[in-house]
Amino acid sequence: MNRALTSLNTLLLILLFLSLIFSIFSIPKLDIDEKQSIRVNFYELIQEDDQLFNSSIPDLGMKKETKSFSSNSKEQKAVETAIFSKFKINKTDIKNEISKIKLSMERDDILRVSAIIQERISSVWIKPNSLSESLVAKVLINLAPSGEILDFDLIEPSSNNFFNESILTAMNKMTFFEEVLSLDRKLFEQNFRNFNLVFKSSGEIE
Amino acid sequence: MIKFYLLSVMLISNSIFSILEIEILKGSDNLSKIAFVPFGVEDGVEEDYGMQISQYIEKNMLLFGEFENLDKSEMLSFPSSENEFFYRDWKVLGVDYSVIGRVNSVNVLGNLNISYSLFNITRRIKILEGEIVGSEDNIENISKIISNRIYEQITGLRGIFDTKLAYVINSDTDTYQICISDIDGKNEQILFTSKAPIMSPDWSPDRKKIAYVSFENGLAEIFIQDLKSGKRESVQALGMTNSAPVWSPDGKSLALVVSFSGNPDVFLYSISNKRLIRLTNHYGIDTEPSWSPDSKKIIFTSDRSGSPQLYEINTKSKRKKRLTRDGNYNARGRYFPDGKSIFFVHGNDGNFQIARKKLSSRYIETLTSTSLDESPTISPNGNIIIYATKDGLNGYLGGITLDGKARFSLPVKNGSVREPAWSPLIN
Repeated sequence: MNRALTSLNTLLLILLFLSLIFSIFSIPKLDIDEKQSIRVNFYELIQEDDQLFNSSIPDLGMKKETKSFSSNSKEQKAVETAIFSKFKINKTDIKNEISKIKLSMERDDILRVSAIIQERISSVWIKPNSLSESLVAKVLINLAPSGEILDFDLIEPSSNNFFNESILTAMNKMTFFEEVLSLDRKLFEQNFRNFNLVFKSSGEIE
Repeated sequence: MIKFYLLSVMLISNSIFSILEIEILKGSDNLSKIAFVPFGVEDGVEEDYGMQISQYIEKNMLLFGEFENLDKSEMLSFPSSENEFFYRDWKVLGVDYSVIGRVNSVNVLGNLNISYSLFNITRRIKILEGEIVGSEDNIENISKIISNRIYEQITGLRGIFDTKLAYVINSDTDTYQICISDIDGKNEQILFTSKAPIMSPDWSPDRKKIAYVSFENGLAEIFIQDLKSGKRESVQALGMTNSAPVWSPDGKSLALVVSFSGNPDVFLYSISNKRLIRLTNHYGIDTEPSWSPDSKKIIFTSDRSGSPQLYEINTKSKRKKRLTRDGNYNARGRYFPDGKSIFFVHGNDGNFQIARKKLSSRYIETLTSTSLDESPTISPNGNIIIYATKDGLNGYLGGITLDGKARFSLPVKNGSVREPAWSPLIN
């Protein structure tokens, strides 16, 4: 009876451990783009060999009631190692994956704030109707952590003065990008302290 | 208007030298708001003049729905010179531009000196100032010149307020008239009246003549009419019928359609020596020619593929190219003034709408939302298309700005209005 309980405990521990690993890999599932590697790796693990996943547990002896309680930790380690080896992952991989998740979350934050800034500029930019010309102009923005626009500069003007004027007029209507307040300070410094807005005349119809 | 809005953000790489770049492709759908401040008047000048000039300018600028105005009752001040002008008075009202001016007397003969300024309120700078001298009875035309300058300064496009429209009116009594008027419908002049159909008016590049087709002698015949003298001259091209005349950009020839034994083809006709050069020779119907701005090519409609489609022909090499493939009806093609795009009537499921196509692209963009549109003509600055359309049995002229922000209809005439032709600019 005791041996049966011990084996059950071991089984529960292993299942707990497995669920922990799965929960780590499941974090980005909702937010991360399909093309990103983290999700692909996760699926590789479970899809590469479905049978392996189903058959591996009996193979490791988890269902058999032959293990003794005293050899529990040793066996558990052996089981862990076997799982890692069977699933072709190690601790470094997990660390890498976690750091990738973190990067992805940062990337999402950058995308989110960039999209808001893009929308806000678009809402005040009265674009001249310049069908015949493909124009590009670049503005460098210097932002305070509060989101206040400290300075902006038309660093790469287009060849069309009216296009440039329309951009400067739009930029003069903006004073704050308070959306950056939601960002981690380090992320702000790395990405939004100085950034460029690239205005393009065409793009609506191609 | 179908718009593709590509949300595109180029994110940083890991390099410490890289910088976040956010692309802005889409502009605002809002219109620029302009305050047209009544012009001040010098002592001795009739006070109404100041208000009249400001109202004329305002009416011109609002004609095609490209701007919105600030109601005079909302204005906090009425400056007529720069030292009376305070940006904050306009910024609080959400104004983008302010127009101010002053009317001074030049002499007792009724000549006026009108000075005007345009301010960009957001940027807090004066972007235009000017003076113009004219007589009291010419205030409306002076206002058009000022409007053109303001329009050009704000949009970067040539002002078109002194251009004209030619069109055909088919009244209820089966009378056909060819008319010209100012772009706002004022000062209408009837050039010719007939009981037989009139069609296809086209302006000479110097704006002095109009070519059109009249059936007054039973068959389609092309006439050129001098606008000053009113004198009409028949173009004696060969063939049974002549139709669809279009002036070349240099004004020396016409592209037209000549039908020998019932088969219409496109020809060039030299006005000076009356020589006819054949461009197309096909058993299908080739019609509705129009010149490219550089005079090197002609766009025309042909049913040679089984349905009306647009083709382009090089006037020298005679090499042809099919331009449209989408839909079973694409006709009455015209080039944009930049020569890079075309606009035409696109038929789909019984709807006929005005569409445009970049020559470098295969996509067609439908511009209008009405369903019986025809005869589109473009403003000489390439920003507005006017076309004939129908509301029940009545034909009227509708218009659209190319950025899709404004749609409008021109004042209704007595009878159906068809085949508008926008005059060139006066250089």
